[in-house]
Amino acid sequence: MFNIINKLTHTFGPSGNEKKIADLIRDMLKGKVDEIKTDALGNLICIKKGSGKKIMLAAHMDEIGIIVSYIDEKGFLRFSNVGGINPFVILGQRVVFENGTVGVVWYEENIGDIKSIKLEKMYIDIAAKSQADAERLVSVGDMAVFESGTILQNGRIISKSMDDRIGCAILVQIALNQPRTENEIYYVFTAQEEVGLRGARTAAYGIMPDMALAVDVTTTGDTPECKPMSVRIGDGPAIKIKDRSVIAHPQIKDRLIKCAEEHNIPHQFEILVQGGTDAGSIHTTAGGIPSGGVAIPTRNVHNSAEIVDMKDVENAVKLIEAFIR
Amino acid sequence: MECVELLKKLSNMRAVSGRENMAAGEIAELFRQYCDDVSIDAFYNVIGFKKGQGEKPGNVLVTAHYDEIGLIVTGIEDSGFLRFTAVGGVDAKVIGAMEVTVHGKEDLFGVIGVKPPHLIPPEDKNKGIKMEDMRIDIGYDGEKARELVSIGDMVSFNSPARELLNNRMAGKSMDNRSGVAVLIEILKELQKIKHDDNVYIVATVQEELGLIGAICATYNIKADLGIVIDVCHGDMPDAPSDEAFPLDKGAAVAIGPIISRKHARECIKLAKEENISYQIDPEAGDTGTEAAVLAVAREGIPVILLSIPSKYMHTTVEMISVSDVVATGRLAARYIAGRSKE
Repeated sequence: MFNIINKLTHTFGPSGNEKKIADLIRDMLKGKVDEIKTDALGNLICIKKGSGKKIMLAAHMDEIGIIVSYIDEKGFLRFSNVGGINPFVILGQRVVFENGTVGVVWYEENIGDIKSIKLEKMYIDIAAKSQADAERLVSVGDMAVFESGTILQNGRIISKSMDDRIGCAILVQIALNQPRTENEIYYVFTAQEEVGLRGARTAAYGIMPDMALAVDVTTTGDTPECKPMSVRIGDGPAIKIKDRSVIAHPQIKDRLIKCAEEHNIPHQFEILVQGGTDAGSIHTTAGGIPSGGVAIPTRNVHNSAEIVDMKDVENAVKLIEAFIR
Repeated sequence: MECVELLKKLSNMRAVSGRENMAAGEIAELFRQYCDDVSIDAFYNVIGFKKGQGEKPGNVLVTAHYDEIGLIVTGIEDSGFLRFTAVGGVDAKVIGAMEVTVHGKEDLFGVIGVKPPHLIPPEDKNKGIKMEDMRIDIGYDGEKARELVSIGDMVSFNSPARELLNNRMAGKSMDNRSGVAVLIEILKELQKIKHDDNVYIVATVQEELGLIGAICATYNIKADLGIVIDVCHGDMPDAPSDEAFPLDKGAAVAIGPIISRKHARECIKLAKEENISYQIDPEAGDTGTEAAVLAVAREGIPVILLSIPSKYMHTTVEMISVSDVVATGRLAARYIAGRSKE
């Protein structure tokens, strides 16, 4: 499974630019599902036919990044965020564009107090010698993502874009396992989650499922002096209770808990005070679709080095397979 | 049921946003005696249907949300104290020393403990306390607490509705059970008068989390007039006079860009003719109520918003006047029965 994860994290796909990552997943699942299609927003929808309930599993394939807004006369790039980007986190980071151009994020050093740093006081240096030089490599409107490796160490993964390529990997793994079920399963790799849960909304409307699960990451409360939260990496996938976008439907939440208990799958409960997930837009679609979520506990979310535990990932696969059975 | 008893019953129900399944059945039961059909949708919106007597009946949708703000358990400490966060707009300043019910495996009595003034260092005397630093105390024993309570269990406030002087009532959930009481007043009134249009009376869910129930309900019900019943701020000391409305002066009828000008005007005209008390509520924005959802649902539903003035909104002592509830119900019902449809 690490192989799948490694491929997914190394494929370009900031919000609105999901073509490459969608093509990769399409190749991975070709022949393993009954139908694969892409909708107008760029969602990749892989269907395993069945005669029972229509169950939508959603993992977003877009990742956070930056977008070039201006190229100055010396060839430095000004930029804006695509999704939630903390200026402190990207300081000194390498970013990479779709064509492979690498840049480094730095800032105007006369800003005085570093605490007042904002994205508009920062720039990307792609080692260009002039504006024309820079424009040969990138254009205004081009997006870039974090440049960072994916490492398996001590049973845990350190990587960029665990949010939410880890969810994509889980869905791919389940589709490859081909769990036996009467239900019709929609493996949906959604677009533009990071900019407002957009892809999931249109995908859900197109599918009109009976129920839906979002498979995404959650923050944790297990790092030094962090805000209290009862989620730790390694303690099992987290069953979503609530985030800023949704309160899990009681029937979905209870079904997940029952599945976890019956199969002895370690699990915990997610109450995310900040942030939302695809279930937020799915559950209000088309008269209401009972929705919930399974979240992978992840440290340093929206950072170039997010950390998850492989056991949680494997247990999430088991839990979701039990849920769709 | 008399309005006072009805308000008591409604305000005392427990239906924290997202867990309205706790009260959906009770609300449906209240609707049943006045409706041709009552159903509960997948999200626990309770939908009462009252058939119109006209040859070509239109469809009127009336909504009032029945969810309430509350708390949710986020952690259980070894000592048995429960950590929690807000569901909906709960103000940390007003919940210290509150009595609560934790809806665990069974309903448990709890208190939100606060540090006695003697133990607060002088430099912290004037400081507020953050919700993340508060705990619910159910009689602390970690083992027993974990047996009965799970992370994710909802918590509601204990504050039984009471009658006060001057036809007023206070309780934990007048926002917006007083609106649900209006729904029932409308149904009662429509028993007495002929109405051409079909009427869908919907007690909605999860309004406090972003108008969720109304979003679901408007997809399924094709309406050509929407009436939203909610609360607005009651007049109280220090409240800005243009955002607060006196009690006992009837429904605040909203006027503003997202409100149907035609229907608001006609509703006001009717109130004058029938001598039903009302006041005018200028709403420059989207109102923050379900009117914002109805206005843009489907091809757009012309919508009016009638609000019951409630003092101390989002506290456990929300205060309303019973006469406003009755007047609002009467105005809405008369408008439904008498509206022109061109």
